[in-house]
Amino acid sequence: MIYKLLEALDQTFGFDQAKAHCDIPCGIYDPIASQIAALTVVRMIDLMTDLEKNRPEAHVAFINSMARYIAVKEEHAEKAKHEVRVIWGDYLKQQQLEKYPDAHALVHKIMQLGSKVRQTADRETAVQFVEAINQFAQIFWETKGVTTKRAKAPYKPELELVYPNL
Amino acid sequence: MLNLLKVTGSSLSPSYQEGDFVVVTKIPLFLLHLKPGDTLVFRHPDYGTLIKQIDRLIPEKGEIYVVGTNEFSVDSRRFGPITKADIIGKVIWHIKRPRGEKKE
Repeated sequence: MIYKLLEALDQTFGFDQAKAHCDIPCGIYDPIASQIAALTVVRMIDLMTDLEKNRPEAHVAFINSMARYIAVKEEHAEKAKHEVRVIWGDYLKQQQLEKYPDAHALVHKIMQLGSKVRQTADRETAVQFVEAINQFAQIFWETKGVTTKRAKAPYKPELELVYPNL
Repeated sequence: MLNLLKVTGSSLSPSYQEGDFVVVTKIPLFLLHLKPGDTLVFRHPDYGTLIKQIDRLIPEKGEIYVVGTNEFSVDSRRFGPITKADIIGKVIWHIKRPRGEKKE
């Protein structure tokens, strides 16, 4: 009874929250997972474009390969978004966000690009997705006091990624 | 003097669950005799407003070690002791969300 009343009031006024904060305190956060996932999206778009140019004779073979590429593209676009959200939501703390006031806008941009690369097969958007996540990775390493470098990934599509100088 | 807050997270489960409400007080009388097992709401610079139980007190140093009851709780085992100045209040009333009723 009292609970129902408080619940209703909470929905109207929104009480402050006390967090019984809980996670596995492993502290393992690394943006490389999101960077590789974004790179995979570009790679899938390249494979899709190649397949379109060099269609196999059997239509069923074409559909099969195309479906597989699209499935991986979908999965990795979501994975990249998820990994970024975890670092943004769990790792970044208020003090760091004060130092990087653009981080929220950048994360939002990554989320939007991540959806767009699923909706389309536009390579340029996918490259922007990789680049936005690179910028996020750079902020992440800076918060840890680790310098970064840019280097071409040693595998296709060989785009530049931000790597930590460890 | 009194503050009403909603609990999120599960580090104090099973006694405190996501969606429960707590009334806390900062009336000095209630904070005079803090003891292990008391539940506190306090402010942490990194984690924001937290709710945990007192594990032990070191009055000479003004240190209060707080813990959750869940093995994955983020608490004094990770961020060290808190002080009285961090305390928002001691829980004096716990309004439980009806158990067995699904949230959302």
